This record gives sequence, C-alpha cells and structure tokens, in this order.
Amino acid sequence: MSQSNTPPGSARASGPAVADTLASDSRGAPEPLLEQCYEFMGDEDIDCSRYTSQAFADTEFNRLWNRCWQWACREEHIPDVGDNYVYNIGPYSVIVVRSAVDVVQAFINSCPHRGTQLLGAEGCGYSARFTCPFHGWSFGLDGALEGLPARWDFPHVSADTHSLASVPCETWGGFVFINLDLNAKPLADYMDVLPEHFSHFPLERRRIRLHVQKVLPANWKAAQEAFMEAYHNFETHDSPNGANAQYDVYGKYVSRFIHNIGNYSPESLDDYPGDKWRAPPLTENQVLQIMSVFGLEHDEVPPGETARSVAAEDLRKRIGAALGVDLSATSDSLMLDSIEYHLFPNMFFFPGITVPMVYRFRPNGEDVDSSLFDFIILEPLPDGAEHPEPPEPIRLDVDQSYTEAEGLDWLGPVYDEDTGNLALQQQGFKTSRKSGITLGNYQESRIRRVHMTLDEFMKEDAE
Amino acid sequence: MSETDFVWVASLSDLPPGSTASVEIEGREVLLCRTSEGVFALDNLCTHGAARLCEGKLKGQRILCPLHGAAFDVRDGAALSRPAVTALASHPVSVNGDDICIALVE
Repeated sequence: MSQSNTPPGSARASGPAVADTLASDSRGAPEPLLEQCYEFMGDEDIDCSRYTSQAFADTEFNRLWNRCWQWACREEHIPDVGDNYVYNIGPYSVIVVRSAVDVVQAFINSCPHRGTQLLGAEGCGYSARFTCPFHGWSFGLDGALEGLPARWDFPHVSADTHSLASVPCETWGGFVFINLDLNAKPLADYMDVLPEHFSHFPLERRRIRLHVQKVLPANWKAAQEAFMEAYHNFETHDSPNGANAQYDVYGKYVSRFIHNIGNYSPESLDDYPGDKWRAPPLTENQVLQIMSVFGLEHDEVPPGETARSVAAEDLRKRIGAALGVDLSATSDSLMLDSIEYHLFPNMFFFPGITVPMVYRFRPNGEDVDSSLFDFIILEPLPDGAEHPEPPEPIRLDVDQSYTEAEGLDWLGPVYDEDTGNLALQQQGFKTSRKSGITLGNYQESRIRRVHMTLDEFMKEDAE
Repeated sequence: MSETDFVWVASLSDLPPGSTASVEIEGREVLLCRTSEGVFALDNLCTHGAARLCEGKLKGQRILCPLHGAAFDVRDGAALSRPAVTALASHPVSVNGDDICIALVE
C-alpha cells in the first residue's frame, strides 16, 4: 500500500483541513489557533521496552521525574498562609506551601533528622508550621528549623544545616509547578509558546469544577498517548470526525492538536473501512444531533446556518449564562473544538469552553505497568469572582468505570472508551514479536516528539 | 437521649458558614464547626498531639490540626490522615432557630 512520492509527513487527510474550517467560522479564531507548526521528525519504531521495562522506569525516576517541571496543584488549593499540598511522583514527595500571602514554596517531604515524611497522603492540608510526627522537630512555613527537642544532644545541627530542602517552585496559569532539580532552568525556558498562546485563554481565571483521579492499567506514556491523537476516533469512539485534525509540534516541550467538533468531511474518511458516514454522508442536522449532548437549544439547523455555527451560538448563550461569563465574542473554535496543548512530559491544557479539560498522567507509585490519570474540568470564572474551594478528587480504581464519577455525565462513557484499550496495549507490548510500535508521520507526531525529548532527559548528562 | 441532655452553647449568628469556635462545657473544650452540611461539635483537642483544633483550619468537611496537619472528618470525628489514628469524640448537635445546643458524649 504505497503512497505518493510526496515527502514523508507532508500527506494529509482529504477534505477541508482545520485551517479551512476556522476560516469559514462565524467568528474568527484567535491568532494562536491559526498557526501551523509541523515538521517530519523520522519514522523509526519506538521500542516497546520503554513501556514495560522496570529498569527503564527506574531511570525515568532518576533522570526525568527528578529533573522536569511538573505541576503539583492549583493555586486555589492553597489560598491562605499555612495551606499546603502534598504532591507525590514515583518515590518522591514534595510539600507545596503558601508560606506568606504572596509566596508559594516547595520542600522535599522528608525530615532532615531521620528522614520521616512530615505530611502523609497526597492532597490539601494546613498547619501553622511543619512538625515531624516522629521526634517533633519543627520547621517554619519557610522551611527553617525552629524547634528541636533535646537540642543539647545536637550541637552539630542548626537552621543552616537542617532546614527543609527547598526545590524550585513557580506558578503559571494558576498552576503551581515544582522541579526536583535544584539547578533547574526557569519554568519560562521550558514553556515554548504556552505563555504567549494562553495569554488569549488565561487559565488563572478558571476554577476546578470536577477532578477525577483514576488508576489506568498501562504505563504512563501509553496512557497519555491514547489522548494525543484523534486518529483513534473512528475505531475507538465510532465517531465520524477526527481524521482531519491538525497537529503542531512547538520545540521540545510543547505540542498541540486542534480537532474540530461540529463539522465533518466525508472525504477525510475516504480509505476507512465500510461506507459509514461516507455514503450517504451525514446531513448538517445529523451532525447537530451528535452535539446534542452539549445541551443545545436547537435540534434543527435553520436555513443558511451550519451545525457548527448553531451549536457555537447555543453554547455561548447557555454556558455564558450558567457561568456568568460573557462569551459573546468567543470564536466558534474556542466554543466547540477539542484544542489540546501538551507540556512535556505529562501535562495537557485545553483552552476550549465546552471542552475545558486539564490532564496529567503519572506513574502509579513505582509500577511500570500502571499509571494515575488526573482529569480536571477547568471552568471559566466570572470577572472579579474569587476562586471557590476546589472539590476533592473523585478517586476511581483500575477496575471502576468513569460512569461511576458523579458529574462526568456524557463524558463518562467516552473516557471508558479512551482508556478501554490500555490493558490490551500494555499486554500487547509484552507479547509483540516486533520490537517497537509504529507511528503515523503526522497524526502521531506528538507522541514521537515526547519520546525524542525523553531521550534527552535519559542521557546521564542531560541539561 | 432526651431533649434535656442538650445544652445551649452558642448562637448560630455568631458562627458564620465555614467558621469554627471553641466552647467549654462541664470543663471540656468543644469545637463547633459550621460547614455546608450543617453544624458539628467535636472535642477540641487533637487525639494525636493535643493541639487545639480551633487554631487549625476548616476545609470543606475536614478540620486540620495546626501542629501536624492531621485531618478529621467534622461530621463524625473520624481520623482521616496521619499522624492521627484515633477519632475525635463527636457530640450530637441540635439547631433551633439561632440556638445551637449540643449533648456531650462520654
């Protein structure tokens, strides 16, 4: 099945591209969504052992998780002085604390005396100071050693030598990021286009509506890669669109897809099996019907309109009123599309209004075969409103269904489909007689970029 | 338990939602917590380090100890996080109009 002689990576699905859709929308999209940024990065297989080898996972703990920026919590998790958040990644544990009104700091969660973790389970907490539950050594919110019972026995200990170990901590978009590398480059050096692009969609003016944390039966990379392309939509979700999504790779750390919702091109499926959605093609009314799960006012497309324009306008009114925000000038694309930015190694930010998610994928403890998926709905906040207290995460174990998470509504079955292949894939890595997985040059380019950057971290002397 | 076991301890208007207060009844320090789910009464001393929980923080349905950060469920006193492992005593509460009354348990 050979393709044409075009250079690798330059072929695209037939039919209108995302750029064509955005150009014909009823309201123009913001500048960042009009950009395209892709180049061919190779077509070699990706070794399966990267997903299954405990030795590879251990090296990731040493060289990746020990050295990369990662968000630990939202600022609204720690609004007041003394509020803290424990964040765990593999064998490591960090305390993020608001140590003064405008100061957020992060410390290694381990007493400098005999190593005991100062705070237990991951999540929100509060204490006026940190006190070790073992011998009662205590530390100020700035990490400085304050109380030392039987100080007479420790002439070799002082605040200079035995305060809590501080790690780099910065904020962006309402997220608190930490880096376990004391010599880490600033977060800004790592963010590529994110600050510029998200100046159009400020995530600091959003609040957590829902947080679901689930154990998934696959390595963290396989789990996140199930969310990095829309190529799977046809087979996994039985969905007609996704084949003409746009993929962008911005440097080492940031990539994006834009997957149009509410339009549809039968040509994009021209070599997919069967005639489904192609002969006959869906009507605009049928496309609108697919979007009825969003809660639309219209059930028919009026003459002169498109399903996309009608849905976007219905949602401007409904979501705008429900949230108390003015969406009247918001583009069709931001209203409807699945626009997904990825920040290396494991973070996803969606600037959309109807699809306003944040994802984070982590190893589940130190297990190479399972992962933790944090799913957050990050909803726009009215101008001037303060962030309400965030909800506690709903925790789902590996065998539970997303339909058990109250508030997920129609998304529950979708995420069950997205994650339903993971156990099969994780086992398939192990039984495969082929040493690696194969990626599409365009639609799966973001996955390749992550592995390329991961390789840089895995080198002993990575920056 | 009869109505007479309940004693008046505070006015609801003095306990805004999301706040706590400590009161003393029969020589025992009791913590009142007003959350989105109602008014709850617990012993005020942390079962781990005996710190005063009224100096801690109410978050949702949890009270957090100011000393080690141990969390307790205000609805039933259950210890939710280490270093505390023993539940706080939880006292029945009755709210009538502006009157908060509680019945001390042993």
